[in-house]
Amino acid sequence: MHAWTWVLQRISAVILIIAVGLHIGFLHFSNAGEALNYGEIVARLKTPVLIVFDILLLIFGLYHALYGLYSVFLDFDSGKKERVVVLGLLVCVGLGIVGFGIFGLLCTARSL
Amino acid sequence: MYKPLQVKVFRFNPESDVAPKFDDFEVPVFDNMAVLDVVIYIQNYLDRSLSFRFSCRIGMCGSCAMYVNGRARLACRTQVSSLKTRDITIMPLPNFPIIRDLVVDMEPFFDKWKKIKPYYVPKRELDEPVTVQPNSNEREFIDDMLDCISCGCCYSACSMVATNKDYLGPAALNRAYTLIADKRDAIRVERLKVVDRSYGVWRCHTQFNCAEVCPKNIVPTRSIQNLKRRCVLKKFGIFK
Repeated sequence: MHAWTWVLQRISAVILIIAVGLHIGFLHFSNAGEALNYGEIVARLKTPVLIVFDILLLIFGLYHALYGLYSVFLDFDSGKKERVVVLGLLVCVGLGIVGFGIFGLLCTARSL
Repeated sequence: MYKPLQVKVFRFNPESDVAPKFDDFEVPVFDNMAVLDVVIYIQNYLDRSLSFRFSCRIGMCGSCAMYVNGRARLACRTQVSSLKTRDITIMPLPNFPIIRDLVVDMEPFFDKWKKIKPYYVPKRELDEPVTVQPNSNEREFIDDMLDCISCGCCYSACSMVATNKDYLGPAALNRAYTLIADKRDAIRVERLKVVDRSYGVWRCHTQFNCAEVCPKNIVPTRSIQNLKRRCVLKKFGIFK
């Protein structure tokens, strides 16, 4: 299991470097100097490519962060029971945030 | 005439002392003086009860490793002049149980060596010796890593060892790498299984603390990263 999760951590790191760069570039520098109103931002969020991109960014970002947290937890002496509880908790938190994020993005896309 | 050294030495005898303390000594300096000379001077002329371990005096045996001015070093290979100060603080290696003063118990360290089976196991089915070309990259890399004298400096500097008592540590993993990377070894896969565990290679966070203090300039982190790569290849069924 460790080999797979470790490889995925590395892959997610590479994806995040590229995706966060694109995200910042697109959202903050593509309209530099122009003040966008709420309607324009929501309209932009309706773009299917952007929705898929944001969902992937959310998934990889969360995986990377939560695996990092779990890894820090493993660095300290802990019993098997504690490890299972913490892993379960982090998986629940991750799934919850991903679900909430996707729900939010889709609601925004359908709101206009 | 050189100004004398002001030396603080950690003192603790778990059998009789309630808590550790530091003793101060003034030690005269001579040319090319090593930290080992400092503690030998203290024992010979100032306090005969000071305990420390040493043997070869030439950086070969690895027995005189100490924590000198905030860093694990071989006392025999550390020139006083290289410390760039007259104030020297000498402590036992961190991450080891203390036996007395500067002497630490190496048992937990070597217990972890035993786990990775630190000896070469030849393949029985081979009739001819396996040739590893002297100029191949693999040969050169393993050669570098074989210089380990098991002094424990890397183990004492590793923050993962400090937080997780089960972590195998840089020295044992480096040793495992030298054997796993050796195609002549018969139990490479079995050895890889031992290091492919939570307390094995996956606890290393590539902080390079081990490489920073290694008196032989070995980079155990590099060995551990190579082991991780092999663990992944094993999952893909590529590592044989």
